[in-house]
Amino acid sequence: MRRVLSVVAVAVVVLGLAVTGWAAESTLEKINRTGVFTVGTRTASPPFGYINKQNEWVGFAIDLAQLVHKGLEKKLGKPIKFEKKESTPATRIPLLSSGAVDLIAGTMTDTRPRRDSLDFSLTFFVTGAQFLVKEGSPIRGIQDIAGKRVSAQQGSTNERIIRERVPQAQLVLFPDQAAAFTALVQGRVDTYTNDGIQLAGLKVKAPNPAEWKIVGDFYSYEPYGMAMRKNDSDFRAVVNNALMEAIEGGEYFKLYDKWFGPKGELPYPMTDDVKSFLMFQVVPK
Amino acid sequence: MSFDWGTVANNWKFLIIQGLLGFGAFGGGTLRLAIPAIVLGFILGVIIGLCRLAHRPWIHYPAVLYVEFFRGVPLVLVIFWFWFLIPQITGQRLPEYTVALTAFVVFEAAYLGEIVRAGIQSVPRGQIDAATAGGLSYGQMMVHVILPQAIRNMMPSLVTQFIVLFKDTSLASIIGMMDLTKAAQTVSQREIRPFEMYLFIAVVYWIFTYSMSRFSQWLEVRMSPERAPTRRAALREAARAAAA
Amino acid sequence: MPLTGFLGIQYDFQWSVLWTGEHGQWLVQGIWTTLRLSTLGWVLASLLGILSGALRTVPFKPLRVLATAYVEFFRNVPLLVWLFFWYFGAPQVLPRPAQDWLNVHGPEFWSAVVGLSVYHGARMSEVIRAGIQSIPKTLLEASVATGLSVGQAYRLIIIPVALRLIIPPATNESLNLLKNSSLALTIGVAELTFMTRQIETYTAKAFEALTAGTLIYLVLCLGIASIMGQVERYFRIPGLIARVGRAEH
Repeated sequence: MRRVLSVVAVAVVVLGLAVTGWAAESTLEKINRTGVFTVGTRTASPPFGYINKQNEWVGFAIDLAQLVHKGLEKKLGKPIKFEKKESTPATRIPLLSSGAVDLIAGTMTDTRPRRDSLDFSLTFFVTGAQFLVKEGSPIRGIQDIAGKRVSAQQGSTNERIIRERVPQAQLVLFPDQAAAFTALVQGRVDTYTNDGIQLAGLKVKAPNPAEWKIVGDFYSYEPYGMAMRKNDSDFRAVVNNALMEAIEGGEYFKLYDKWFGPKGELPYPMTDDVKSFLMFQVVPK
Repeated sequence: MSFDWGTVANNWKFLIIQGLLGFGAFGGGTLRLAIPAIVLGFILGVIIGLCRLAHRPWIHYPAVLYVEFFRGVPLVLVIFWFWFLIPQITGQRLPEYTVALTAFVVFEAAYLGEIVRAGIQSVPRGQIDAATAGGLSYGQMMVHVILPQAIRNMMPSLVTQFIVLFKDTSLASIIGMMDLTKAAQTVSQREIRPFEMYLFIAVVYWIFTYSMSRFSQWLEVRMSPERAPTRRAALREAARAAAA
Repeated sequence: MPLTGFLGIQYDFQWSVLWTGEHGQWLVQGIWTTLRLSTLGWVLASLLGILSGALRTVPFKPLRVLATAYVEFFRNVPLLVWLFFWYFGAPQVLPRPAQDWLNVHGPEFWSAVVGLSVYHGARMSEVIRAGIQSIPKTLLEASVATGLSVGQAYRLIIIPVALRLIIPPATNESLNLLKNSSLALTIGVAELTFMTRQIETYTAKAFEALTAGTLIYLVLCLGIASIMGQVERYFRIPGLIARVGRAEH
C-alpha cells in the first residue's frame, strides 16, 4: 500500500517541482534529509558484490561501503538507513547522476575521462584487464583476439579499450556480467574480458574452477575507486576519511583478509607494492 | 549433456518466495508488482477511456495522443525513460519497484483505455438516454448504468490484457528489480544451469497465466448466463416453463 | 535552455552526438538490425501462425490438440524468459557440432529470431483462428461440395479469405513483434534500443539518445499502421458482415 501511494506521490511531486523548480542540494544534505544512504553495487561480481549460495547479497566493496556508512552516521550524528541497489557498468553513471544512488561501491575503474563527470574516492583495489578462456583455448592475451568473439559488459572500460585497440575483434556486449559469463560457458563466445580480479572471482565460484584460465598480461591498469557526484567535497571527505581510517587502523586489511586471504572466498595475496600504495594514500590526521 | 535438477530443488524457495512473492531482502517480487499495476492501470485506463470519448476537444485530443504514443513505443524504452527521468526530476532516490510500477501503470493504461472505450461504446445508446431521462447525472449514470454493463462486455479483453501485463512484469528484471525472472538469472549465473532454471520459471509463469485465462472464461459464463446457457440453466428454464 | 531552467535540472543538451563521431553510425546500425530481426521474425511467425491457426479449426482432433498445445504453451510465458531459454538454455541440448556451428554464426541474432517467431507465431495463431472461425461454415461445405479436399479448400479458399478479414488485428500483432524485438538487447543483439543505451554509456547524453529511439519507433509503428489501414480498405470484402475487430494484445 505504501509503495502504491508513493507512485501517486511521485506524480504529485513531479507536478509540484515542475512549478517550483528544484534547488540542487549536496549529498550530505540529501542523506540528512531522507535518512537513507543508497549504495550502488554489483550482484554478480564476486567477491566485490554478489549473491552467494545462501542468496545473500555480500561482498568486499559492500563491507567497505558499510564503513563509509558508519562514518556518515558519526558525521551526521543520527542513525541512517543503509540501502543497496544493483548497478552495472551500463547503469551506474545514470544512477549516480540522477540521484538514485549516492555512492557506487563496486568495481568501477577510476579514469581521467570519467573524472569529468564524477568524483572518485581513494583507490581501494588495484587490478588490470585480462581475458577468461576455457582450458585449452589458443588465446593467450590481447594479441590473439583479432577475429575472435569476445564478450564484455556494455559500458565497461574493457569494451572501450578493445574497440579502440583491436577493432577486428568481434565484441558481443551484454547488459551485465552474469549474461556475459554465461555466454562464455555456453561457448557462444571465445573469451570474456574483464578486470583480472573479477575474472578470478568468477573462476573460483564456477561449478568447475579447473575448467577456466585467466590469460594475458594486464592490457590496462584498473584502479578501483568509489564514485560519487561531482563537486561534493564534504561527502567525498567523509568517504575518504572512512577509507583512510580503515587502512590506518587495520580494518581494511581485516576485510581484505576475509575476502582475499588464504581462507577467504578468493585467495589473492596483496603484493608489497600495493600495500605501500594503499598506506601512502593515508594523509596525516 | 546432463541436467541437474538439484539446482531447482535447492533454490526454488528463493525463486518463489523472493522472486514471485517479493518477500525477502531484495524487495521486488512479480506478484507484488503485478497486482497493484493491474489495479492502478485499470483505474487510469478507465479515466483515459472516458477522456477518449469526451466531446470537448481539450480532453479528447490529449487522450488520443496519449494512447497513440504509448502504443507506438516498446515497453522497454518507456521503462528506461522513467528510470532515467524520475530521479532527475524529483531528486529522490526511488526503488526499482516504484519506477517499474509507474512505467507499467502509465503504459498499460493506454491499452486498457482502448478496451474500456470499446466496452463503453458497445453499451446500447438507449441506456444513456434512459438514464438521463430518469434524472441521473453524468457521474451517477457512468457508475451505476454504463460502466457495469461495459465491464461485463469487455471482461474477456480486459483479462487478456491483465495477462499481458502479468507477463510484462518480467521486464522489470532489466532494471534490476528482483522478480521471478531476475531471481532465475541470478541463480542461473551462479550455478550455470540456464536450461533448468528458465524452464522452471516458464512453468511457474504458465501456471499463473493459464489459470487467469481459465478464470476469465469462467467469469464470462458466470456474468452473463443468458449468453452461454449451461445445461442446468436450460433445465431450470424448462422446469419454470412447465410449471407456468 | 528554457526547459531545464524551468525544471531546475542541470542538463546540457547536445543533439549532435546522435550523428557525429563513432556513435553516429550506431543508430543506423541499430535500426537496420531491428528491421532485419523483425522482418525475419514476422515471416516465420506468420507461417507458424497460419499453420497452427488453421490446424486448430480442422475437423481432425489430434491435429487440433497438437496446435492448441503449441499455442497455449508458448503464449503464456513471457517473451523475455523465452529469449533467455532459447539463447542460454536450448542450445545445450543440441549435439556438439551443431552448437559449434551455431556459435560462429551469430547465435544471439538467431536465438532472438527463433524466440520471437515461436512466441508471436502462437499469438498470430489466435488471430488467424478467430479469422477462420468468423467465416461461415457454409463456405467450407460449399468448397468441399465442388470436389476439393479439405486441405485444398483451406489452402485455396478459406485461408485467403481469412487473411483479408484479419488485417487490423494482424497488423496489431505485427507491430507488437516489432516492439518486442527490443527485448533482444538482453541477449546481446545490437538492435535499436541497445544502441540508444550504448550511445548513452559513451556520451552520458541519455535524453537525446532516448528521444531518438522513441521517435524512430513511433515513426515505424505509426507509419506501418497507417499503411496497413490503407491496405485493409483496399482488400475489404464487401458484403461479409464479419469483420474481425479488436485484436488480442
